[in-house]
Amino acid sequence: MSEPLLRIADLKTHFRTKGAGLFGEKKVIKAVDGVSFDIAPCEVLSLVGESGCGKSTVGRTLTHLEKATSGEAQFEGRDFLSMTPAEFRPLRREIQMIFQDPFASLNPRLKIEQTLGEPLFIHGLCKTWDEARTKIAAMLETVGMDPKVMARHPHEFSGGQRQRIGIARVMILKPKLVIADEAVSALDVSIQAQVLNLIKKLQRDSGVSMLFISHDLGVVRHISDRVAVMFEGKIVEIGEKHQIFEAPEHDYTRKLLGSIPRVTIGREVT
Amino acid sequence: MALLEVENLEIAVSSRGKLLPVVQGVSFDVDDNETLGIVGESGCGKSLTSLAIMGLLGGTTVRITGGNIRFDGMDLLTLPEKDRRAIMGNRMAMIFQEPMTSLNPVYRIGDQIIENLRRHKNLSYATARDRAVELLTLVRIPNPGERVDSFPHQVSGGQRQRVMIAMALSCDPKLLIADEPTTALDVTVQKEVLDLMADLQKRMGTAIVLISHDLGVIAETCDKVAVMYRGRVAEAASTADLFAELAHPYTRGLLNSIPFVDRDVEWLEAIPGRVPTLEEDLTGCAFHPRCALATDLCSLTVPDTSQFKPGHAVQCHFPGKVTS
Amino acid sequence: MNAVNFLRAAFTGRKLATVGFIWLCLIALAAIAAPLIAPFDPLEIDPVGRLAKPGWPNLFGTDHFGRDTFSRAIYGARMTVIIGVGSVIVALVAGGAIGMLSAYFTRLGHFLMRGVDVLMAFPALLMALVLITLLERSVYNTILVIGIVYATTTARILYGMTLKLKGEVFVDAAICSGAGHNSILFRHILPNLVSPLLVQASFIFAFAQLQAAALDFLGLGLPPEVPSWGNMLSEERIYITRAPWLLIYPGMLIVLSVFSMNLVGDALRDSIDPRFKDDIAGV
Repeated sequence: MSEPLLRIADLKTHFRTKGAGLFGEKKVIKAVDGVSFDIAPCEVLSLVGESGCGKSTVGRTLTHLEKATSGEAQFEGRDFLSMTPAEFRPLRREIQMIFQDPFASLNPRLKIEQTLGEPLFIHGLCKTWDEARTKIAAMLETVGMDPKVMARHPHEFSGGQRQRIGIARVMILKPKLVIADEAVSALDVSIQAQVLNLIKKLQRDSGVSMLFISHDLGVVRHISDRVAVMFEGKIVEIGEKHQIFEAPEHDYTRKLLGSIPRVTIGREVT
Repeated sequence: MALLEVENLEIAVSSRGKLLPVVQGVSFDVDDNETLGIVGESGCGKSLTSLAIMGLLGGTTVRITGGNIRFDGMDLLTLPEKDRRAIMGNRMAMIFQEPMTSLNPVYRIGDQIIENLRRHKNLSYATARDRAVELLTLVRIPNPGERVDSFPHQVSGGQRQRVMIAMALSCDPKLLIADEPTTALDVTVQKEVLDLMADLQKRMGTAIVLISHDLGVIAETCDKVAVMYRGRVAEAASTADLFAELAHPYTRGLLNSIPFVDRDVEWLEAIPGRVPTLEEDLTGCAFHPRCALATDLCSLTVPDTSQFKPGHAVQCHFPGKVTS
Repeated sequence: MNAVNFLRAAFTGRKLATVGFIWLCLIALAAIAAPLIAPFDPLEIDPVGRLAKPGWPNLFGTDHFGRDTFSRAIYGARMTVIIGVGSVIVALVAGGAIGMLSAYFTRLGHFLMRGVDVLMAFPALLMALVLITLLERSVYNTILVIGIVYATTTARILYGMTLKLKGEVFVDAAICSGAGHNSILFRHILPNLVSPLLVQASFIFAFAQLQAAALDFLGLGLPPEVPSWGNMLSEERIYITRAPWLLIYPGMLIVLSVFSMNLVGDALRDSIDPRFKDDIAGV
C-alpha cells in the first residue's frame, strides 16, 4: 500500500476564551478534539457535519491559519504542524485552500492578474510578468473564463465567476492537496452545479487530492470517494462513500441523512 | 375569494435615475390552511415580493409600480398607514432568514413577544407574559418559563428561529410569510422547525407563504409552488402536479442541478450561464439565453402565461418540451 | 475604487461640499501664486497709512504697522496650506504606521496602543502647548507638534481598520498563497486603507487650522514675522474696537476654510467603503 499523501493523527485545536468579567472562568472551546484520517494521492475525502462540528477548523489548522493544540500531521511523510512559518512556506504550494465566500476571498483593490500572479511569484514559478500572464491566461481558460478578465477587478464579477477565479488561484500552483472549505455553499443552486462540475473535472484531470469540507450531504455524495462525518470536534464515522450513504452505522449519520428533505419526481417515491 | 390574492404585481428599483423592473406580472393566491412555496435563486424577486405583501418596501429606491394585493378582502396597496399597522404582526406576520439580526439583541425574548401582544391585543403585562410562555411552549422551547427572560444571544440559532415563529404567531395571524426561514439552520434543526410549522398550521389553520431556494424543502412542506425567475413566475402548480411533470425548462434545469443524497450522477446537468443582472436589458423570455430549447421567438417575445394543464400555469413558448 | 472615482463619486449631488472644495482650491491657488497676486509686500511697513479702512488700494485695510491686510491674507493662505498638508503628512505617517503595525503585530500592539491611549488622555491643545514650549517657535515645529497631536487619533482609527482587514478572507487567502508580512501589509492591507485615510486627512487638515490659529493666538505657534491668519488675529486683537476689519477678515477666512474642509470630509466619508463608515471620527 502506498504512502498516504496526508496523515492526521489525533489532531486537537482548542480555543481559549476570555472569561466574563474580571475573574470569570476562562472556557476552553474544543473545536477539534482528536481527529484522525488519511488521504491517499488522487483521493477526495469529504468532511461533513453541521455548524460548530469543527470541520472548518480542521482545514484551517492544516493550513496554519489556526494553531494546533496537539496531534500530528504529516504531508508526504513530513511532520508539518510544528513547522515555523518560514519552513512551512514551500509546503504552502502543495497544500492550497478554496474559501467559502466568493465576495470576500479576492482583494477588491487588486486586478485579477495581480491576485493570480502573486502566488506564482512568491513560489518562484515565474520570473517575468509575461511568463505569469501566459500561465494566468491558460488557467483562466481552464476554469471556463475569458483570459481577458485578468485586467479587471473582482467587483465586476458574479459570485460564481469569483469562485472560479478563486479556484484558478489555487490550481495555478499545481498543488497536491486542495482543501475546499464550503467552496460551493454560498452559490445559487444552478451556479453551484457548474462549479461542482468544474471542481470534479479539475480533480480528475490533475489527480489532485482533496479534503472537501461541507455541510451539504448531496454535494458531498457527488464529489467524494470517502466521507468522514464530524460531530462536536470528533469524527463519528468514516468510510467509503457508498457505505456511509447506503448503510450508515452511526446514529448521528443516520439522523443527518434522515433530516434531509427529499424531492419526489414523477410518481416514484425516493 | 382566497385569503391572499396577488395579481400582476410589479416592483421596480430606481438605480441612477432609471426605473428598473425587478418583479413583473407576478400572480398567485393562498387560502386558509394552505402552504404556498415560492422558489427561485438570487435575483428572482421572491424576497421583494414577500416584503411588498407585508408592506415593508417603504422607501424611495424600491417601489410597487403596479398590480394588486388583496388580503382578506382588503386592498393592501391603498390601505391607510394606520390600518396597515393594525394588521401587521396581528393578522399577517413574517419570519425572516437571519434569526440573530431579526431579534433585537438588547431586549429579552419574552419582552419582544410581549411587545407584540400588548400592541395588538391590549393585554396587561401579566397576561401577555403568560401568553408568551404559552407560545414558547407551543414552539417547543425547553424550559419556557426561564427562557422567556433570556436574551437572544443566550439561545441557539434554531431556538431563535422558533422564538421568531412564536412572535409571529402570537396574535393568531391568518397569514404567515416565512422568508427562507431555515436556510441559516443546520439540516437537523431545519427538519424540526419545518415539522413545527406544519404542526402549527394544522392546529391554527394559518395560511403560509414559504420562500426558499431549496426544492427539497418546498417539495416536502408545500401544497402548491410558484417558481420564479428574474422577476416573473415561470411555473406555478400544486406540488404534486409540478413534480409529476415539470413544464418550464428552468424548473427542469433547477432540479437537474441538485446533487441528490440518494443517487449518483457522474456530471450534474448544470444550466449554463448566469442570471442576467438588473441593468442588462432583455427582450423576450428572461430565460432564453440559458435555455437549450430557445428559438428566435423566445428572444423576441415574452411568453404569455398559459395553462399547461388545468391548475398548472407556465410562462414559456414551449411548455413541457424536453428536447429541441 | 481608485482615488479619482472615489473623489468624483463623493461630490456628485453634493452642492455644498463641491463649493467647499472649490473654495479650498482657491486657497491653494492663492498660496501658490501669492507673489504674483498680492498687491503689496506683506511685510512692508507704512506707519503713515496704518489702520486704514478697507477700500482702495487696500482691499482689506491696513494693520497697526500699516501692512496691507489683503496681501497678508494671501500670504497667510500659504501657511494654511503648509500647516495643513504638513500636519496631515506627519499625522498619517506616524499615526498610520503605529496603528497599522499595532494591529498587525498584536503583542507589539498592546504595548504601543497603551502609549497612544495615554497620549489621547490629553486635550489636543494642552498637548500642543506642552510640546511647543519644549521646542522653539518655527513653522516646522508647529507642523510637528500639530501632527503629533493628531497622530494619536489616526493611530487609533487605523488600528481598528487594520484589525478588521486582518480578519478578511482575502488576507487568509494571501497567507495561504505564501505571502509574507511585507506583502500582506503593503499589497493587501494598505491599499484598502487609502479611502479612509483620505477622509481622515481632510478632517485633520481642518482641525490643524484651528490648532495652529489657537497656538498663534497664544503667541506660541509660528514666529511673528510669518504672516498667518492666526498670527493676524493675535496681533490685532487689541484693535478690535478701532479696526474690527483686521479681525473679521482673517477670522472669516479661518471659518470658511475649516468649514469647507469639514464639508469635503463629510462628503468623502459618506462615499466610503461601508465597512469603515463607523470607524472614521470627526476628530
